[in-house]
Amino acid sequence: MKHTEHRPLEPLLDLQAYVDGELSEDRRRQIEAALPSDVDARELVQGLRQLGTLIRAHEPVATVPVSREFYWSQIRRQIEADSQAERPQAPAASAALGWLRWLIPAMGVAAVAVVVATNQSPREMTLAGGGDVTVVDVTSTVFRSESDGVTVHWIQ
Amino acid sequence: MPVSVKHDYPSEADETLVKWAQKGDTEAFEQLIFRHRDKIYARALMMMRNEDQALEYSQEAWVKAWQRLAQFQGESSFATWVTRIVINLCLDQLRRQKRVRTESIEAMDEESGGVERQLPAPETNPTAGLEQDELRRRIDEALGKLTDAHRTVVVLHEFEGLEYKEIAKRVGISIGTVMSRLFYARRRLAFLLQSLKRERSE
Repeated sequence: MKHTEHRPLEPLLDLQAYVDGELSEDRRRQIEAALPSDVDARELVQGLRQLGTLIRAHEPVATVPVSREFYWSQIRRQIEADSQAERPQAPAASAALGWLRWLIPAMGVAAVAVVVATNQSPREMTLAGGGDVTVVDVTSTVFRSESDGVTVHWIQ
Repeated sequence: MPVSVKHDYPSEADETLVKWAQKGDTEAFEQLIFRHRDKIYARALMMMRNEDQALEYSQEAWVKAWQRLAQFQGESSFATWVTRIVINLCLDQLRRQKRVRTESIEAMDEESGGVERQLPAPETNPTAGLEQDELRRRIDEALGKLTDAHRTVVVLHEFEGLEYKEIAKRVGISIGTVMSRLFYARRRLAFLLQSLKRERSE
């Protein structure tokens, strides 16, 4: 205390920078040249070095205050949550969903069209392919192809 | 038919566990956490001085480490890499809470040299005779008595080994402020440790 309390701050910071290896080569040489004749500076340098050595050698330690399993489970849960949130939709799935967005209304329109067409014509008619269309009621239409052995139900 | 290989995780080196974790092996990552969790937690606790926050930020650091594992190329040790992550998280929080950059009147005074010249210079061997664990605890207490701003530069310089320039960049202050905060903090620590010596001799 007695050595440094009246000294300006700048030279003290220079001495500290010298201890920390933060000075230019020229400045380092200047300080080394001045130290033998400056008792106060020498004591400050020695004190700073000892303090640094002391606290680095006795770095405070601490133990996680919860069990390993609990600590990890919270981390894992967060990792999984982040992974879910950031997972991009697969391109193929997106494409399929895109098609579905168009396909479902289109199917509805087609179904309505079939019902309207069959309601405006005889309730039974023969198709070119040899099948027939039977209107069961206003909201249900069945297409059956005898040659292909296929029956399609349109429900409106 | 694929053969399933069960790794002996506890016996593997960090480097091997990191490689496995980078391929998505969560058991390898858990082993890394188990090895280094106390160090990461201790660093967060030293920065924040709050157990709940230290626990939260240390866990957040591990989550970020998992997300950024591909970026880890082994330039430093894995533990050092995660420590830097937790330090950055703590610095973000301290900045958010205005605990590291706020220039209180007292801090301004300290940094302009108004106070530190009244404090003792570090004294040779101020803690002679103390047991190692006791000394560690006393140093922790002394660190806890520093302001967040002063403790931060001590942690980054003494325990993380960062240069002034790097500390300035991370904390968002000038190199001159790093130097004056570090100087004040050291003298304050010396003063606190010196008072411990006095306590023991009384």
